[in-house]
Amino acid sequence: MIGMEYAWLIPVLSFVAFPLILLLGKFLPGKGSSISIGAIGAGFILFLFVMVDRLSNGATEQAFFKIDWFTVGSVELTWGFIIDPLSVSILGLVTFVALMVQIYSLSYMKDDPRFNWYFGIQAFFAGSMLTLVLADNFLLLYIAWELVGLCSYLLIGFWYERKPAVEAAKKAFITTRLADVALLVGILLLYKQVGSFSMSETFEQAELLMAGANSALSSGTTLIAALLLFVGAMGKSAQVPLHVWLPDAMEGPTPVSALIHAATMVAAGIFLVARTFVIFEAAPDSLLIVAIVGLLTTLMAASMALVMTDLKQILAYSTISHLGLMMLSLGSFGYTAAIFHLMTHGFSKALLFLAAGSVMHGIGRTDIRQMGGLIKVMPLTALAFGIGAVSLGGIPIFAGFWSKDEILLSVLDHRHPIFMILVLVAVFMSALYMARAFFVAFMGEISDENRKGHEAPVFMAIPMILLAILAVTSGLLALEWTDSFRGIGSFIFAHEGHGFEFNLMLGLGSTILATSAFIIAWLIYVKGSISISPFKRTFAPIISIAERKYYLDSAYQGFIDRVVLVFSSLVAKFDRVFVNDFAVNGVAESVKRSAFTLRHHVTGLIYNYAFVMVVGAIVLVAAWWAIAVKG
Amino acid sequence: MVTLMHFQIVSAALFSVGLYGVLARRSAVLILMSIELMLNAVNLNLIAIASFTDPERFAGFIIAIFVITVGAAEVGLALAIVLRMFRNRATVNIDEIELMKW
Repeated sequence: MIGMEYAWLIPVLSFVAFPLILLLGKFLPGKGSSISIGAIGAGFILFLFVMVDRLSNGATEQAFFKIDWFTVGSVELTWGFIIDPLSVSILGLVTFVALMVQIYSLSYMKDDPRFNWYFGIQAFFAGSMLTLVLADNFLLLYIAWELVGLCSYLLIGFWYERKPAVEAAKKAFITTRLADVALLVGILLLYKQVGSFSMSETFEQAELLMAGANSALSSGTTLIAALLLFVGAMGKSAQVPLHVWLPDAMEGPTPVSALIHAATMVAAGIFLVARTFVIFEAAPDSLLIVAIVGLLTTLMAASMALVMTDLKQILAYSTISHLGLMMLSLGSFGYTAAIFHLMTHGFSKALLFLAAGSVMHGIGRTDIRQMGGLIKVMPLTALAFGIGAVSLGGIPIFAGFWSKDEILLSVLDHRHPIFMILVLVAVFMSALYMARAFFVAFMGEISDENRKGHEAPVFMAIPMILLAILAVTSGLLALEWTDSFRGIGSFIFAHEGHGFEFNLMLGLGSTILATSAFIIAWLIYVKGSISISPFKRTFAPIISIAERKYYLDSAYQGFIDRVVLVFSSLVAKFDRVFVNDFAVNGVAESVKRSAFTLRHHVTGLIYNYAFVMVVGAIVLVAAWWAIAVKG
Repeated sequence: MVTLMHFQIVSAALFSVGLYGVLARRSAVLILMSIELMLNAVNLNLIAIASFTDPERFAGFIIAIFVITVGAAEVGLALAIVLRMFRNRATVNIDEIELMKW
């Protein structure tokens, strides 16, 4: 029976698929999509086997695989994978959502001339992301991290004939790259102290530090390293202020948004903090910073989602808001809750994005002001979107509620009450903007033009249905099912497993908040019984700030224009004037000039040459006489 | 008494005259004649030294023979060049042959 030993195949299959697709894809009927889907499908099936194996062999133990790669001096680089509950769960999330997105893309990207390349990069991304999740040493993690960023760049800028797409891809890559510098410095800092890139060794030292014993890590270094790692995570997981690339990333094809910018790549930052959680715990102040950043992100992004008018932008800001929520959870010691929410959010958000893609496919527009009543022409899409919306909004039964509730619980238990109040505000806002998006787009009157829209074709519908099922049911992961799986709390945890905890008051409170948000939205946007104009008037200044994205984009652009570009033009000038014109061309020029002057000695007259020869002979004789005879 | 010094002075004088001829004459043929004069001066010098210092060793005489031989060969070659030059340019005036310059 296939067991955990084969887990390494999961990323490798997708990696191998990449060159195969590029080389052979043109000749195959599916133009390479079959190879990609085959690889990720096999990956998913392998995951199921691995999961079963894990559960039957002691669910919480870790397993390692290692291949020595090469050694440079005293630095050993290995290719190792770690199979523990955290990596297995994310493995499942990534393989499943990637599979759904690729099947969806069969239909969505059907007529694209670069269909082949699209699936190649999809496979490459899958391989990189899976490697990132399974990596057991920081160097491999960093390599996979960068590869994932590369694939994101390639896919955001997939339609590179469009300038906005190119700009968005650049923005994404540069913003995350900046954060990655901090990540690299953090990794190197840890390496310098611990002496190895291996995660398990680093975690050992961190645990020693926490226990107060002799450790290779000092508390100051650990704090700095944790913060640097967090900055890296901020870039990938779009925390404020490094979130600016994610809304722009919507320029990419919608399945790409669903996969990379909702469920998987942006999860990498959360995953990093979770994976290295022991380092953060060894420097508890870092967790406070994580929580604050997470809270800030949640609130700011939620406020921006409320005022956006493009469907995909609303979903993008919603993603940022939920990522902030996950960071807040990690910062409040809610390890299990964060990963649980990562999974439920992954399924629900992917579902929402696929539904948005279906809307685009059906009516060719994404501005919600030009939508309305779409449920009449695409009921399945409306249902899918609705399920995703209520799940993320936090209505009970649906998955999002359970994970959100666990997050609220950890915030309540571990952080100052002000966090709780603000996060409840964010919960209300998240339900509100989701409801707003759903009601404005799908309810109400349908315009004549939109009446011509059509429902999603089969290959787009099936992934939506499957994801919808998961969005409804994955909440049940919180509960006990078998002897070896006593709820997600006992499977994924930081220190000790725990059973299913539920605070009734909290659950009731958040349900009331969410439901009232949905009702208010219904009243505003469907029934029209509440008018939001007075609300808009009172809060006009805040609304306009939110609409201008808190001026962060303009701040970044101003900095680039005034500082970065000025500096680089100075450097360019130096290069042009000094290095090129003076040093390189100057030398050549002076040689040329001296040659032009000296050439005049070649007169062509023989007696000149003869004379010079005579003079030279006399000089030589004189010199010989002076040295050998006189001296 | 005629010493070696006298021979060497004569030789030096002849050499200088020949040198002046090479540097200051316009005609190519005259230059060649001056070169011959220089060669003769050198021969005189060699033989004088050989006679006065060690007549038993024939080194100087043999070198002089070589010089004569090489001089003959070189004159043959040089005259051929001058002839060619004359046929091309209708002049042996070296002032007018200065194409290979900057």
